[in-house]
Formats: sequence, structure tokens, C-alpha cells
Amino acid sequence: MAKPHLSRNLKRNLVAYSFIAPNFIGFCVFTLLPIVFAFVLAFCKWDGSNPIEFMGFKNFTRLFGDTFFKAALKNTILYCLGTVPLTMVASLGLAIVLNQKVIGRGVFRTLSFFPYVASLVAVTAVWKMLFHPTKGPINSILVNVFGHDPQLLPQWFSGSLVLVSMILFSVWKFMGYYMVIYLAGLQGISSELYEAASLDGAGTWNKFRYITWPQLSSTTFFVVVMLTINCFKIYDIAVMLAGGGSGELTESSTVLVFYIYQKAFINWDLGYSSAVAMVLFVMVLTVTVIQFYGQARKERTDR
Amino acid sequence: MKSAHKKAVLGKTIVYLILIIIALLMLIPFVWMLSASIKTDREVFIMDPFVLIPKDPRWSNYTNIWKKIPFGKFVENTVFLTLVVTFLQLLTSSFAAYAFAKLDFKGRNKLFLAYIATIAMPWQVYMVPQFLMMRSMGLNDKLLAIICLQAFSAFGVFMMKQFYTDIPDELCEAARIDGMSEYRIYFKIMLPLSKPALSTLTIFTFVATWNDYLGPLIYLRSQSKKTIQLGLKMFISQYSSDYGLIMAGSVLSLIPVLAVFLMLQKYFVEGVASTGLKG
Amino acid sequence: MKKRIIAVLMCLCMLAAMAGCGGKSGGSGKGVTLKWAIWDESSTQYWSDIKKAYEESHKNVTVEMVDLGSTDYMTVLATELSGSGSDFDVVTIKDVPGYATLVQKNAIIALDDYIKKDKVDLAKFAGATDQVLVNGKLYELPFRNDFWVIFYNKDIFDRAGVPYPTNDMTWEEYDALARKVTNTTFGKQVYGTHYHTWRSTVQLCAMLDGKHTILDGNYDFVKPFYEMILKQEKDGVCRKYADLKTEGLHYSAAFSGGDVAMMNQGSWFISTLITNIKKGDYDAKLCGNWGIVKYPHAKGVEAGSTLGTITGLSVTTASKNKDAAWDFVNWVSGAEGAAVMASSGNFPACMTEDVKNAIAGIDGFPTDKQSKEALDVSNLYLEVPYGDHVSEINSVLDSYHGSIMTGELSIDEGIKKMNDEVGKILGK
Repeated sequence: MAKPHLSRNLKRNLVAYSFIAPNFIGFCVFTLLPIVFAFVLAFCKWDGSNPIEFMGFKNFTRLFGDTFFKAALKNTILYCLGTVPLTMVASLGLAIVLNQKVIGRGVFRTLSFFPYVASLVAVTAVWKMLFHPTKGPINSILVNVFGHDPQLLPQWFSGSLVLVSMILFSVWKFMGYYMVIYLAGLQGISSELYEAASLDGAGTWNKFRYITWPQLSSTTFFVVVMLTINCFKIYDIAVMLAGGGSGELTESSTVLVFYIYQKAFINWDLGYSSAVAMVLFVMVLTVTVIQFYGQARKERTDR
Repeated sequence: MKSAHKKAVLGKTIVYLILIIIALLMLIPFVWMLSASIKTDREVFIMDPFVLIPKDPRWSNYTNIWKKIPFGKFVENTVFLTLVVTFLQLLTSSFAAYAFAKLDFKGRNKLFLAYIATIAMPWQVYMVPQFLMMRSMGLNDKLLAIICLQAFSAFGVFMMKQFYTDIPDELCEAARIDGMSEYRIYFKIMLPLSKPALSTLTIFTFVATWNDYLGPLIYLRSQSKKTIQLGLKMFISQYSSDYGLIMAGSVLSLIPVLAVFLMLQKYFVEGVASTGLKG
Repeated sequence: MKKRIIAVLMCLCMLAAMAGCGGKSGGSGKGVTLKWAIWDESSTQYWSDIKKAYEESHKNVTVEMVDLGSTDYMTVLATELSGSGSDFDVVTIKDVPGYATLVQKNAIIALDDYIKKDKVDLAKFAGATDQVLVNGKLYELPFRNDFWVIFYNKDIFDRAGVPYPTNDMTWEEYDALARKVTNTTFGKQVYGTHYHTWRSTVQLCAMLDGKHTILDGNYDFVKPFYEMILKQEKDGVCRKYADLKTEGLHYSAAFSGGDVAMMNQGSWFISTLITNIKKGDYDAKLCGNWGIVKYPHAKGVEAGSTLGTITGLSVTTASKNKDAAWDFVNWVSGAEGAAVMASSGNFPACMTEDVKNAIAGIDGFPTDKQSKEALDVSNLYLEVPYGDHVSEINSVLDSYHGSIMTGELSIDEGIKKMNDEVGKILGK
């Protein structure tokens, strides 16, 4: 009796592995392996050519005294704090509006998706023109409509405002993407719930609060997790919007992945760059895990 | 009754107003791109006065990009890469996702965790080890390198798995009792059901591969292997830049992406809906 | 059955994937093939000129150029030369930080033995090679040497009735001249001068006395130039850094637009101007009447000191044809290569009177005496000399340059930050 059972078990495992194999072999070789290597690198000194030297925790202690690392960490976190909730709210709002029966709904949906597919070079160029410090329409509205002092116009791409611009831009660019996800979530809410609420005389706000929002909680969870991961990985948007003549970022606009890139490919300090990445990795993982448990607990209490 | 009607009209008006404002916000860049694509490098950045259509439109930007760089070849490469990558990605991730969602086997959770964790890792970190490895395999300067890089992403598996988890297990169980093999269940039941999810993954992968810059930059050297995104960068040279040409190229390269989106968008919304958002 | 399906699937994947790598790399049938890393092949004439000339005089050698693009050239090259599997023989060195990276990575070899063996006289490079020695060894030979001059638009000066700039100006005179020719009237704007967004356009002005370099660790000496330029910005004498950064306006577009009277820029812009005016890409009515003068100098310092950037060639450690590669490097940086470079209006590293005459004689080069004299350089300092941490220092300085120019930090704060952060790197 034992033998056929064992072989059936084995067979089942083999069948499952055969499903995974095509993807897993590729994934393992081309992604997992290099990532494991990068983990090890965080404790080493390596420039990509000379022999690897083991460093222990030196790369990590170095982080504490590093002005640019600290600035990058701060900016990345602020950026996430701004972008994640704003994008969520904007995409949810957009999804709710585009879920109504409006004329040209398909057209509007496609338009909202446009910023996500358009090439970054092109759309950042447009944004930079719109927010141009002296010639941009946004600033001329400030002067002509709101009587802002033309000498003290806001500099949207440097100083304290640069993060604001980055956040606004990201919300605009990714709104459509997450809208699609929310739109999908909305399709899953049974219309009977709304009808019953209407009979009870519930208004729009109450319908949203007691039906839409709780029903969307798993969608929101997914959106927030993906948003957080993607926001922590912000890089090209910062360079395109705030980068100077040689693509460099200042203390007020630098972000972690830019710093990782710079340490790796400009200064060829691959060990240190991996150490910075570990910090990023641990942060993203922590946030995701917290969200995961929060969501799980909420589901339990909901029941 | 009358006031309720009034309220409804007001509501609709507000909705349309919001929609129109949003549509404009989304459209401005596109209009600007179109306008810039028929300008010279200098005209692109003249704001006061802003001219939508320059006095002397440079339609030649659209013909020049084909002459100045082998744009045709780049389009060919990009199309080839995108198609192969998208195809492989769809096939392998839906295949693997099925096992993760519907089969019970040793090490399932650990393997899946490994997949998820890699999504959080920025590519820049493991790019160099990856490059050295790929080169030692003789993949440097081969389109195959980009295919290997993109085709086995963890994101695809994650997404497809979420979708399959939502398909009731009873469907599979019934099929198993009927004596169907797992492969048949996958082909005959899962694949047809996952059309929406597949379309979603298609557009995601398509956009990502089509717009990828850093990957091709590191791996593709020869002129004959370059992609559109690399080609567009060629208009920014050491001693000059030509935004008019870049914009013309961007407009052209946007067309296939929008076409794919329009084609798939009706499945697309459904697709994400089913992609495991039910927790 | 099941297995067959998998097998078929796998084959399909493989086939689809394999189709991608079609087109074998051309076999090196006869003689030696040298693989050479370059950038901007289509817009830069001299790469193919050099290849053609070299292949003509060396029948058994084929030079294969690989264009890595200029924007990310050093990044791509350093990645390519990581480990030991690269197949490049000769690489072009675009800047000193990149050179330092490659040397530290052991990706390129010291050329001293070859130099000794072939008795190459380094004196022809006028001291430039001394500034890129690494522990007394030389890893590249320069073949192109660009130096900074002031370009100016004669028509603008004529219209304003202001005399042209001269080959012997102090910075104060230059500033006064720029202010004189400036016109801030809306619609008729003329900018007296223009600074591209690079750090070099500001900081390098301070290094012309030869007492300071960019690797010093103390940057108090650049303060007067930040003050001068920020004041010019404020008074509308030059375009604002923040605007330029936002627009990504290229300096060539700025100058060819006909509203910039003077601009400090490298001599590479000479051939760009000549070719583009000839081709009609730049409007000759706006910028066709241009000239150059020497860089301004500090009071009490002799005129003619300027900063230079060398472009060099190196032999890779991985090369299997090192001797042939060396011969190519030596040829390009020597007299024959220099002649090829000069023929397209570019400045070879080994400058001679003949070369100068050749460039000044090119059709499209300004005909006035001053412009030709501006090509005489008395002291040439490298923008960035070699140093152990040059690439890190460069990153730090670039970043704070941006902070100062956008007003995020005051000049004093910014310079203090530069001192502190570079100090940390040097103290390591």
C-alpha cells in the first residue's frame, strides 16, 4: 500500500514541477541567481573586475555617515508617503466616475491610460514645459491670475518643490493604470447591494462608505502593495524631471535607486551599492508584510 | 421629484466636467508631442508665444528618422523582441501559475515566496552579475539576451496565479474525476477561462518590452540589433540634440502600443477584475 | 502524451528564442580584426575617416567600430569591460573619471613598455599625458585634444555697436562686455553670454591660474565665479540655469538661435558649427558670422591659459591582439592620425603649426586674425586630472553645483558642502 502511495505523491510533485519548470528554470538562472549573488555582494567590496574582498558589515556601517544615502532615503520615503495615497484616491475616484454610464466611456478610459503607455522622455518634456519656472503656463497663471510676485515664482524642479512635482507627475502618470485595476474591482460588486441601499434611502456618500469601500478592500490592498513597491523603485522619473546637466541629482531630489545606480555604474562600488539596495529591499518587504497582516486581520474582523 | 431630477442633472454635469478636465490633462502631452514632432530642435522649447503648428512645419522629421538612423531595422527588432517575449511570458507564466494555484506539491510556498520577493528588488542591483553571467553564456550582443531577461519575469507568474486562485477548485476536481490529466485541464479549462487575464498580461508585457531602454542599452551593441528606444536616444548626441526627431520617433513608436491597447481593452478591464483581487 | 506536449512546448520556446540570435558575427577571415569602441558614429565624421585611412595603410588589419552611443558611453563600456570576457581590442576614453574607472578595474593595460619600445615621444602631447599618469604609468594615448574658448556672434556685437571681445581679456572685462551687449527688452532679447548646464562652464574658470585643480578638496576658490555668474543670471545677462535644466536646451541650439553674444565652450563646437551652417541645419543669418577668442584670464595672469579635455585610446587587457591594437593606438595618436583629425576640423592631441593652419584654413572657419590666434594655447590644464577618487569626487561636485545654481543652497553653503563631502572621500 505504501509504495503506490509514495509513487503517486512523487508523480504529483513531478507533474507540478513540470508545469513550473519552463518558467522557473529561466527565472532561476536569469533573475534569482544574480539576486542571490547581489545579496552576497552587500558584504563585499567589488568593482566588477578585480577579485572580490569580504568586508563584513562595513558597507552597512558606512551608510550611517553617508549624506547622500540619508538624503535619498528621506526623499524616497517622502515620495512614497505622498504618491501612494494620492494615486490611490485619484485612481479610485476616476474609476468610480468611469464606472457610471457616461457617453464615450471607452474613449475616456483609453485617454486615462495614455500617460502610462507614452514614452517617459516625451511626457517629462511636456511636464517640464508646463511647469517651466519662467515661461511655463502654470507659473504665468500664478502671476496673472493670482498676482504672484514674478520675482519669487516657484521653482518646480529644484529645492523643496521638486518632490511635489515628482509626486504630482507620478500620480498623473500612474493614475490610469491603477484606475483599470479599480474599475475591475468595481465590476465585482453586486448591483443588488446598491439597490437594497437605495431602497433604504442611502445617499451617494453612504453607498460609497458602506458598500463600495469595504467591498473594494482586497483591491485596495493589491493596489497599495503594487504602488508601494513601484514607488520605492522610483528612479527614471526623478532623473528626467530633476536631473541637471550631467544627469546628477541634488540632495533635495536624489532617490535610493538613483544612488544605487550611481554607486554601481558611475563609481563602480558594487558592494556598497548592493548594501543600499538591501536597505530598500528590507523596507519594501516590511511594508508589504505589515499591509498583508493588516489586511488579513481586517478580513477576520469583517467576518 | 423635480428637485431630484435637477440634482441628477447637476450630478451628470459635474461628472462630465471632471471627465473633460481629466481628458484634457491626459491629452495635452499628446498634442504637445504631435506639435513638437513637426518643429526644429529650437522651436520645440519656445514657449512665449507657444505655437501649436509652426509656420514652417518640418514634416521632414517623419521622413528623416528613417534616413538618419536605420529606424526600419530598429522597428523590426523591437517588434520581434516584443512578440517573442510576450508570447513566452504568457506561456510560461500561465503554465507555472497553474501549478502554484491548483496543484499541491512540495516547496510550493517557498518557491512562490522567492518569486514575490524578487519583484521588490531593483534591477540595477543585480544587473552587473547578470551581465557577466549572460556574457559567459555567449549571449552578449544577441537579441536572445533580452528575451531571456524579460520572458521569465516574476510579475507574470504572480498575476496569473492570483487569477487562477479565483477559479473555483471544483472545476478542476470535476475534470480530474473525469480522468483528465493536469495538462488537459490546463489547456481545455484554464486557458480558455483566462483570456481576460492573458490580455492584461499581454498589454503589460508589451508596454514594458516595447519601452525598455536600460536592458537593450547594456546588451545590444551592434547597430543591426538595436531597438527603437535606443534609436531615439541616438538623436541626442555628444554635440547636439534633436528633439523634433525624438518626438517624431516617439509618436511613431506610440502607435503600435495604442493599437494593442485598443484591441485588448475590452478584455483588459475584465482581466484585471478577475486577476485575484478577491483576496 | 504528456511528455510529448512538454517536449513540444519546450522546443517551441527554444525555437522562438533561438530565432532571435540569427546572423552570425562576421568571421575574421584574413589578417587581424580590431574591435574598437566609439560613440555617435553617424554624426561624427572622423571615426570612419580614421578607420579608412588606417586600413588603407595596413592592408592586413580590419577595424570594426562598435557604436556605444555618447549619452551612456562610459557606463556601457565599463560594464562591457567588467570581468574578463570582453572582445574589444581598442577602446576610446571619453573622460578622465571613466579612464580612472577602467584603470582601477584593470580593464586597460599600461602602455609604457610599448612607448619605450617604439620610442614614442610624449613631448608632442604638450604635457597632457603627465596629468593622466597613474602611479607613474600611462594607460592611454590621447588622439584628440579640445580646449575651451569663447565663441561669439559678430552680428550681435555689430548691431549693438560694441567692440568684439579680444584674445586678452580679464574676467572683469569679459563680464563688463557681456553686460554691455545684453538687451533685456522683451521680444528683442540678447543674452550677453551663455553657460551650459555642465559644472565645467562655471568651475573651470577658476582653475586657469594653475594653482588649483578639481581634486583639491577645498573649493573656496570657485566662489568668485559662482558670484559672477549668478549675478549675471539675476540681471538677465545669461539664461538661468534652472530654465536651461528644465528645457534641456542644448548649447548648440542656444548659440545657433542668434540671441547669444558670447558662449564659453570647447573647441569641438568649431567643427559642429562649420558643418551645420554649411548643411543649412543652423540658420546662417542667425549665427553664420561667428568668431572665437581665447579664454579670459584672471588679473595678472598671462592670456592663453585654458582648460582642455583629451580623448584617448587604450588597449584592453582582454585583447588577444595587443600588439596590433597598440599599433593602431600609436598610429591614431601620432602624426598620421592627427592629419586625419584636422582634415575634418577637429583638434588632434599632437598639435603642430601645420595642424593649426589646416584647421584655420578650413572653409567656414572665421577669417579674422583673432580667431586664428585664439588657437594658440600657452598653458593647457586638464578639466579633470587623474586622481584615485576622481569619479566619486566628480559625482559630489556635480550634485552641489546643481544645488548652488538652482538656489537650493547659497554659494557659501554649497561650497562648504563640497569641501565636507569631498573631504570625506579623500579622508577615506
